[in-house]
Amino acid sequence: MTTDLLESRPDRDLADGGRHTWSLSLWGLRTVAVLELRQRVRSSRWFLVLGAWMLLLGGMTWLAIKAVYASYVSIDSTVAGAGTTEAVNQQLSSQAGRTAFAVVALMVLSLGALVAPALSATSVNGDRNAGVLATLQTTLLTPAEIAVGKLLAAWVVALALLVGALPFILWALILGGLDLPRLLVVLGVLALVLLVVCAIGLGWSAVAAKPVISAVLTYLTVTFLGLGLPLVFVAMYPLSTNTEEVVNSYMVPIDPNAEPGTPGATMKCVSESQSQSVFHTERIWWILAPSPYVVLADATPLGKPNEATDPLGDIRNAVREARLGPDHAIYNQCGDSSAADRARQINRDALGITWPFGLAADLLLGAGFVALAVQRLRTPTRTLPRGTRVA
Amino acid sequence: MNTPGIVVRGVRRTFGTVVAVDSIDLDAPAGQVTALIGPNGSGKTTLLLVLASLLVPDAGEVSVAGFDPVSQPYQVRARTGWMPDTFGTFDTLTCREVLATSADAYHVPRIVAASRIEDLLELVHLGDLADRPTQVLSRGQKQRLGLARALVHDPDVLLLDEPASGLDPRSRIELRGIVRGLAAKGKAVLVSSHVLAELDEMADRAVVVARGRTVAVQDLVETVTMRRTWRVRALDTAALAAGLAARALPFVVADGANADRDGLDVELGSDAEAAALLADLVRAGVPVVAMHPAAGVLEQAYLALSEDRR
Repeated sequence: MTTDLLESRPDRDLADGGRHTWSLSLWGLRTVAVLELRQRVRSSRWFLVLGAWMLLLGGMTWLAIKAVYASYVSIDSTVAGAGTTEAVNQQLSSQAGRTAFAVVALMVLSLGALVAPALSATSVNGDRNAGVLATLQTTLLTPAEIAVGKLLAAWVVALALLVGALPFILWALILGGLDLPRLLVVLGVLALVLLVVCAIGLGWSAVAAKPVISAVLTYLTVTFLGLGLPLVFVAMYPLSTNTEEVVNSYMVPIDPNAEPGTPGATMKCVSESQSQSVFHTERIWWILAPSPYVVLADATPLGKPNEATDPLGDIRNAVREARLGPDHAIYNQCGDSSAADRARQINRDALGITWPFGLAADLLLGAGFVALAVQRLRTPTRTLPRGTRVA
Repeated sequence: MNTPGIVVRGVRRTFGTVVAVDSIDLDAPAGQVTALIGPNGSGKTTLLLVLASLLVPDAGEVSVAGFDPVSQPYQVRARTGWMPDTFGTFDTLTCREVLATSADAYHVPRIVAASRIEDLLELVHLGDLADRPTQVLSRGQKQRLGLARALVHDPDVLLLDEPASGLDPRSRIELRGIVRGLAAKGKAVLVSSHVLAELDEMADRAVVVARGRTVAVQDLVETVTMRRTWRVRALDTAALAAGLAARALPFVVADGANADRDGLDVELGSDAEAAALLADLVRAGVPVVAMHPAAGVLEQAYLALSEDRR
C-alpha cells in the first residue's frame, strides 16, 4: 500500500449523539437534494422538458386568450350594440383578461400536477432498483433526511415548471390589469399544491416496488384530489337530502273566477305547508374544500363587485352556495326576488374563507405521505416489502 | 489503534419461509482479513446486510466496531465501510462526485474530504476517469469505485461483498495489496466470496458457511500442518509414478489433466512431508520439474470441509 490515507473521520460525536430516524440536518438535506438533482435532472433532458412545457403552455395560453376575447367580442356586439364607448371596451378587455388569467391559472395547476410527480414518484423505488438506496442508508443520513431531501429536489424541479409558466400567467394578468395580490396568491397556492403532489409521489415511490405502479398511484391520488372529490360531492348529494316540511308561498288571485281587471282578480299571497326534498349541501360541502381547484379559486382575491366573475370566481361562488345550503327564498315567490338574490349574495360574500383549511388538509395529506416514506426508509428493517431487494 | 472488529453469535435471519441465515458464528478481529466463504445462497450477503445495519436479525447477537447495528446503527455506520455485491452507481455522477457525495453523507469535513478523495482515486487507479460519469465505467472500474466509496470515511471495519468480481488480474493483485494494507493499519476486514483463489493470499482466517450455518473456521497461517493434495511433474512420468509407488504413496491424474503435461496428484499430510518427498525423489534420480499444492490453501480447506459435511 503506497497511498497514505489521511485521518478523515466522519463526525463520530454526531453519530454517537442523538441521530435518529427523524433527525433533520441542513447538511443532510443538502447532500440528498444535491445528489437527487445531479442524478436525475442531469440524466433526463430537463431543459428539453422545460422547453416543451413552456411551448405547450404558451400555445394553450394564446388559445385561451383568443377564445375568451372572441366570446367577449360577440357579447359586445349583441348586448352593447354598435355605440360602445372607450370605457365599455376597456371593461370588456379587463374582464376578458381576468377570465384568461383564471383559465391559465387552472391550466398551470392541472398540467403542473401532471408533470410535477415525474421526479418524485420514482425516486425511492428507482434508487432501490438501481441498487443505490442502500449505499445512502448505510451512511449517517437519516431516513427523514433522505425522504425530505428527495422531496425538496422534486419541489425545486416543480418550481422550475412554475417559473416557466410565469411569463404566461403574467401575460394573462396584464391583459386584465396587473393585480399583484392575485398574482402572489395564485403563485403561492400553486407552489404549495405542487409540493403536496411531490410528497404524494414520494410516499407512493417508497411503498410500491415498481416505479410504474407508484407513478400510476400518484396520478390516481392527485386526480382524486382535484376531480374525484367534486365527484364524491355530487355522489353524496342525494344522501344529503332530507324530506322536510316547507312553507311554500305563492301569489294567487283573491277570487279565481274573477274577470281580469276586477278587484277580485287582485293577487294575494298564499302560504301552505308541503312535504318536500331539501338538499343540505351545507353538511357535505367540506368534501370540496381540499380540492386544489377549490383552494386556488377560494384563495384568489375577487374582482370589483360590479364586474362579471371569471372561472375562478364561479368555482368560488359554487362552493359557497354549497356552504350556505338550501335557499329558503326560493319557496317564497311573494317577496322581491332580486332582493332575495342580493341577500343571498351578501350572505355568500360574508362567508369566511375556506382555502386555509383546504390547503391545510392537503398539506397534512402530503405530510402523511412523507411520514410514510420515512417509515419505509428506516433501517435496519425487519420486514422487506414484497418484491424489493435491500441493496 | 485497536478496535473490537466484528463479533457474530448465533445469528439467524429468515425471509418468510426461506431461511437465509440459520445460525452463523463469526469473529473478524481488528488487524486481520477474514474470509467469508460459502457456495451461492449460503447466506453470505444476508449476513453482510445484517452487519451493515440494513437488516434486523431474527435472533443472535451482533457487534460491529463495538456497537449493535440494530440499536446503535449510526455509531456502526460511522465506523463501517460496506461494499455491496451489486454496486449500483449514480449513473450520471462523475467518480469524484460519487465519492464527494459519500463523504458528505458521512459528514466528513469538506476540506478533509477533498484531499482524501484525490488519494482514493489514486489508490484505485481511477484518477484519469475522475471527471467522467460513472456510466462509462466498466464493471471492474465500478467495483474499484465501490471500494473507494467504502473507504471514504476511513472506517474501522470493512465489509467487502465479492470485491474481486469483474476485476482484471492486475486489479485483483492491487485489491489484495489494498486489503492487506488496511488490515496492517488495524482495520477489521471481512471479505466474502465464493471464488477461493482470490481470497487465498488475502485472508488470514477463513469462515466457511453453508446453508446458513458456520461449518468451520480455518486459520490459514496453520496450513503448513494441513493435509492436502500436491501436484508433482517430472520429465519422465513413468519414473515419477514408479518413485511414488516405491514410497507407497497413492497417486492419481486429476480430472481433465494430462499426466505428461500436468503431472500427478498425491496427498500429503503436511508441508514437511512434501519437502521430504521432494528430496527423496530428487535423490532417487526422478527428473522432477515442479511440485506445488494442487489448489489454493483455501480451496483445499473448503473442499475438505464440504466433504466432512456430506
